[in-house]
Amino acid sequence: MLLAGSSRRLVAELRDALDSCAERQRQLERSLRVSRRLLRAWEPAETLAPEPTPGPETNEEAPSAACAPSPQDLKELELLTQALEKAVRVRKGLSKAGEGDAPSLKSGSIATSPATRASAPPSTSRRAGSRASETEPPRGIRQTRVPAKDLPERRLLSVGDQACMGQRAGATKPESGLRNEQIVLSAASQAPEAFTLKDKGILLQLPEAFRKASSRNSRLWAQLSSTQTSDSVDAATTAKMQFLQKMQTTSGWPGSRLSATEVEAEVRHLQKACLLLRLRMGEELTADPKDWMQEYRCLLTLEELQAIVGQCLHRLRELCTAVVEQQLGPWPEGRFPRASLPCGGEADPTWSPQLLLYSSTQELQTLASLRLRVAMLHQQIHLEKVLMAELLPLVSKQEPLGPPWLALCRAVHSLLCEGGQRFLTILREDKPAD
Amino acid sequence: MGRRRRRRRVDPADAARALPEAIAALSQTLPAGPSPETFRRAKFDRPEAAPAFWRLLFCVLSPQLPDGASASFSPEAQVRSVKLALRTQGYPRRALAQLPDDGSQGGRELLLALAWLLAREPLPERLLAQNRVQLGDEMHVCECEALASPGPPAPSVEADGCVDIRHLQWLMGKLRFRWRNLMASQQEQCALLGKIHSYTRGCHSDRSLGHLSVTETELLRDPEGGRQLLRRLQRENARLQAALEWRRRELVFWQWMMSVCPVTTLPSSWGGPDFSGALAFRKPGLCASLASRPTGDTVLDACPPEASQPTFLPRIPTPAAGALEPLVRELQALQGELREAVEARRAAWEAGVGGRGPEWSAARTALREAVGQDLAALRRACERGGSLAQPHGPRRLVRTEAGAPRGPGLRAPEVIEALRSREARLEVVLRRLQGQCRQELARLVGALPGLVWILPPGR
Repeated sequence: MLLAGSSRRLVAELRDALDSCAERQRQLERSLRVSRRLLRAWEPAETLAPEPTPGPETNEEAPSAACAPSPQDLKELELLTQALEKAVRVRKGLSKAGEGDAPSLKSGSIATSPATRASAPPSTSRRAGSRASETEPPRGIRQTRVPAKDLPERRLLSVGDQACMGQRAGATKPESGLRNEQIVLSAASQAPEAFTLKDKGILLQLPEAFRKASSRNSRLWAQLSSTQTSDSVDAATTAKMQFLQKMQTTSGWPGSRLSATEVEAEVRHLQKACLLLRLRMGEELTADPKDWMQEYRCLLTLEELQAIVGQCLHRLRELCTAVVEQQLGPWPEGRFPRASLPCGGEADPTWSPQLLLYSSTQELQTLASLRLRVAMLHQQIHLEKVLMAELLPLVSKQEPLGPPWLALCRAVHSLLCEGGQRFLTILREDKPAD
Repeated sequence: MGRRRRRRRVDPADAARALPEAIAALSQTLPAGPSPETFRRAKFDRPEAAPAFWRLLFCVLSPQLPDGASASFSPEAQVRSVKLALRTQGYPRRALAQLPDDGSQGGRELLLALAWLLAREPLPERLLAQNRVQLGDEMHVCECEALASPGPPAPSVEADGCVDIRHLQWLMGKLRFRWRNLMASQQEQCALLGKIHSYTRGCHSDRSLGHLSVTETELLRDPEGGRQLLRRLQRENARLQAALEWRRRELVFWQWMMSVCPVTTLPSSWGGPDFSGALAFRKPGLCASLASRPTGDTVLDACPPEASQPTFLPRIPTPAAGALEPLVRELQALQGELREAVEARRAAWEAGVGGRGPEWSAARTALREAVGQDLAALRRACERGGSLAQPHGPRRLVRTEAGAPRGPGLRAPEVIEALRSREARLEVVLRRLQGQCRQELARLVGALPGLVWILPPGR
């Protein structure tokens, strides 16, 4: 069962595959952490340092369409304000009436408010997003009874009030990117109102400075991509060619040599070509010709593929010769830095990313899983080729045909033919005793 | 009349300013760019210019390093790394390799090297694109990074010597498990992304995007992080602006570089280089055995000029040709398979019914043309410098309503279609390879009497 020498390569390849998987997993975990945190209730910001965003006064002038309070919200706000004013009146009346009733009412309110506060986050958030109901005003009164004395000092009706969650009444209003009218209710209730993306995400707005920088960024990238194809570039291109030529003539070497990077790029190109040709061959061989025309067409296609493979092989042999002659190397870093070579080997015409539109989560999941599946198949095919190259000679070389060899055959068969998932069974026929 | 005189008077001043301005734009767009004065000093090979240029080239040639990490490399390490990188890319001048490792000399040579790198490719743009601030949620639609596994394996493997095949089985199982985990995590991430995108719809100032991305939402949640992001974005904007300036003004730089280039000292018989990278140097009857691993002292001592000089580079055994072996074997295997298939089918064809008669030749040429056209795209893709026109690179994910009007951008259903067909073809390839293995193994063990091989149940 022991393998010699070539096993190093096998283990190295498998470890490479495992490492690249692990790397992808790490990146995914990072993104998952961020996304999960975003979907939970947001913690209140610790640092309240002023941001370069405009202050509360200017917010009211230009709310975006999404942040403009809907008539529904305004109505709710109206109802609440009325309820609060009534509460103040009642409270004043009560305190005038005497001490007796006030404590009971107070205790009543205190008793109820913790209960309501305990369920505040889900209930207020539900309330914030739900239609106005009859139960709302009374609950509103009960919850706001405790800080009722502070209310007349606040500007309840100001749209875009910057009251943030978790603020004590009377504290300074921190500046944040959130404009949230519903948070007026929560501040009034003095409960640390949690912000959840689900309920209030639609009210978010990016800070002004960021918006400007981001639009300038996309404008500049667009300009950069378009200057690639302008005419004034031609003069510069000619000058560059002249310079390169002069550099070449002052070099120490005759003719031009292939650089290791160029060879590596061509080898990768040929690898891709090999895969494409193999895919096409697979198609042709599994196709079922129905008539003689299709049969002949299939034959011609295979012949053409054969010619192309021949050309690729020829080019590859030229590269091998070049590598050996020019003693290129060492191979850069063993593993080529992927980032340095652009996709497909030629420069991208647009440098900044374009869009990919999807319409449902299902679609996105299908897309992502197919991408992973294709990547996995690429890897499996590569490993299959490596295993074939190393294991098949092993089986043929080993002469002793005893049980160890049978075990080896069984293991090799499972690795090569079943992806390591299934095993075959070997039965030995016993000769009947004479 | 007076106007023309005025213009002529202004021109020299402008011309004198044009070069420093161009260089200033260049050094602003590159990381760690030196001042225009340093460039001028480098032209005259002043020693104080050299360290700045070594640093600049180091940053340019190893862009994977985060900003500031270059400080952890000693000057000697930086010098050696730059030399190696330039040699790998095929820098034509040998004078570079002869510069001392302490980084004290070589301003002019380094200036030439920088210009050489700039002339060959749009370097500032590429560097900017690599370290781009990502504002959206991006996904790659091509599988270029999927081909990360082929290539020479990393040499940093413990010299185990012998390995049990059970260890291989265990590794394969571990790999399968990791893939399953990856799939599950990916599904979860997509679900979360979908939620975030739909909860923030309508919040983006850019109508074509419509909703916020994770990065943008995160900057709202975490103002400090948002400020850092904003700073990075502003820095990138400055560099982009400088890159555009550079593009406008670079002509005068190239004219100046022609004066920096030293006068040629080689015999003129070696003129007329060919830039397509074609191999101009071929010995007839050369039979480099592709199976052997060439070391430094083979008989193929190529360049006469190099032999006359003492070797200035460490003679490292080059596994380069050996690294191409797997691909050679693969192509040869493919060629063999095709040959078999073609022979079989041609024999069947000849023995078969079709293909006789006068109308046959017309049909044959028509078919040949059709096949030629069919495979034209594939042929182009396999040729040097060719590629299939497939969507490349990362794409920003944008969630739209199902019935929304068609805006710019790739649509998910199309990509899904393409991926499905690609998946199907890859599965065909895998099955074929496995089938070949099965046949081969059956052949190897089939001769043994007294054994019954029971294959596992098919799927």
